[in-house]
Amino acid sequence: MLLEVKELDVAYGAAKVLHGVSLAVDDNEMVFIVGRNGAGKTTLLKTTAGFMAPIAGSIAYAGESCGGTPAEAMALKGIRYVFQDKRVFSQLTVRENIELSAYMTPATPTQAVEKVLEIYPRMAQFLESRAGGLSGGQRQLLLLGCALIGEPRLLLIDEPTEGLAAGTIAEVFEVLQSVKGRVSMLIVEQNLDVVRRLADRVYAMKEGHIPREFRSASEFQEPDALEQYL
Amino acid sequence: MISTLAYGLTIGGILYIISIGLTLTFGTMRIVNFAHALVYTVGAYVVMTVTARIWDNFVFAGLVAVAVAVPLSYLIERFVIRRLYGQSIDYAIIATYAVLLVGVDVVKWLWGATPMPLSDPLNGAFVVLGGVELPLYRILVIAVALVVFAALEVFFRRTMVGKIVVAGLENKEAVRSLGINVDRFFTIVFLIGSALAALGGVLYAPITSIHPYMGFQVLLLCFAVVLVGGMGSIRGSFVAAFVLGLVIAVTGRFWGPAAETMVFVVMAAVLIFKPIEA
Ligand SMILES: Nc1ncnc2c1ncn2[C@@H]1O[C@H](COP(=O)(O)OP(=O)(O)OP(=O)(O)O)[C@@H](O)[C@H]1O
Ligand SMILES: [Mg+2]
Repeated sequence: MLLEVKELDVAYGAAKVLHGVSLAVDDNEMVFIVGRNGAGKTTLLKTTAGFMAPIAGSIAYAGESCGGTPAEAMALKGIRYVFQDKRVFSQLTVRENIELSAYMTPATPTQAVEKVLEIYPRMAQFLESRAGGLSGGQRQLLLLGCALIGEPRLLLIDEPTEGLAAGTIAEVFEVLQSVKGRVSMLIVEQNLDVVRRLADRVYAMKEGHIPREFRSASEFQEPDALEQYL
Repeated sequence: MISTLAYGLTIGGILYIISIGLTLTFGTMRIVNFAHALVYTVGAYVVMTVTARIWDNFVFAGLVAVAVAVPLSYLIERFVIRRLYGQSIDYAIIATYAVLLVGVDVVKWLWGATPMPLSDPLNGAFVVLGGVELPLYRILVIAVALVVFAALEVFFRRTMVGKIVVAGLENKEAVRSLGINVDRFFTIVFLIGSALAALGGVLYAPITSIHPYMGFQVLLLCFAVVLVGGMGSIRGSFVAAFVLGLVIAVTGRFWGPAAETMVFVVMAAVLIFKPIEA
């Protein structure tokens, strides 16, 4: 397993929001997390990415124990985190956003721009514009493109289709589909259609627990199987 | 009137150079750094001491002063400010104010409390503009401020370090998620800001008198600049510094005692009409 989270407890101050959460992601596996608002999905991704330290439990990544390792160090180990808020660096141009994403990776700025254009060719016309002027959908495609720069090993993506128009959801879907099987992904997603069409495995999350794991397509394709957790 | 405007722009230029450090530390780390005024004061004292004791060359002495500020501010950053990251802003105010008070006492101990003048490094040379004699030194101060502004624009827009800081100002977590240790870059910016504070002290020394408490007065004016300029905006501070410099000069021409009070009237007006989102 590339990522192995065991019995994780995480709290904001005195408020414990994750209770003994365990999950795993294998090499090049595409794993989804579904669950209601406030279930703790973002908290789980944030802790895995190194933005929060767990109060109990363990996180092993690539065979190393890394609970509490700071986010910048986790990123250097090949983890890319796409935040739920879809914020780009609005003061910088699109090209500068891309260069910044490539800064600590082996990719050159040119290779980085090529990578983004490869998954979203239409970004070419915006390269020199301020990223703050992009639409919500364009931002998300830029963020996904940036996350793919420099051969990451694990992508943590928080609600990639949230708040997007149908056409843009289709574009995001295509991007995710195109990288499926080439990188490990742990994706929080409420759009069950997207989940069903892409997932290798699904975890359902509820009130800070993981009550159910769907180990195969046949389990989560069943009618209402996932719906009951939304 | 021309000389009033020129004086206002000179004050504005110096305020800009000093407040840029406050703007940057507030913008990057959300820390209100009172110790900044100490670095400014030390800058003025070092330039005076070097010209008097070592070599009477203002440019050389100014460079020494700026060079002294870097290790001094590094110590302040390393042992005080760095422990305050992410803490309540009140702690930063108390801790850096303590550094300022202790530092001012050390300044008094080293140099005494008597105000000391520094002569015009250009020996009173002047230029004539529109029939008015203007001290050349003051015009040069304005030019230095413009050069600093241009240099910072290039730094923040063209260099990778500058872009990382701009990105970190906007969204620190996102920069960290790219594997970039933002705090290290913020330290660089802190040192640049401190070096500029010392430069401000150097430039202001020949215009004012040098005394241990000179930092307190300028600090309040610089807070006004930072507030009016939009708390963390580099360009905003530039505009605000010159506007407030002109406010000081023009008010001072008509009614001297009100000159600096007027700055805070402007600041209050700005806060009323453009409240800060916390
Ligand atoms: N910064 C915070 N401080 C305190 N409590 C928080 C904080 N962030 C989240 N919480 C609480 O932790 C719980 C889990 O939040 P989290 O953001 O992980 O949920 P989520 O599953 O991602 O929800 P959503 O679908 O709305 O994004 C919620 O009860 C939330 O109120
Ligand atoms: Mg969330």
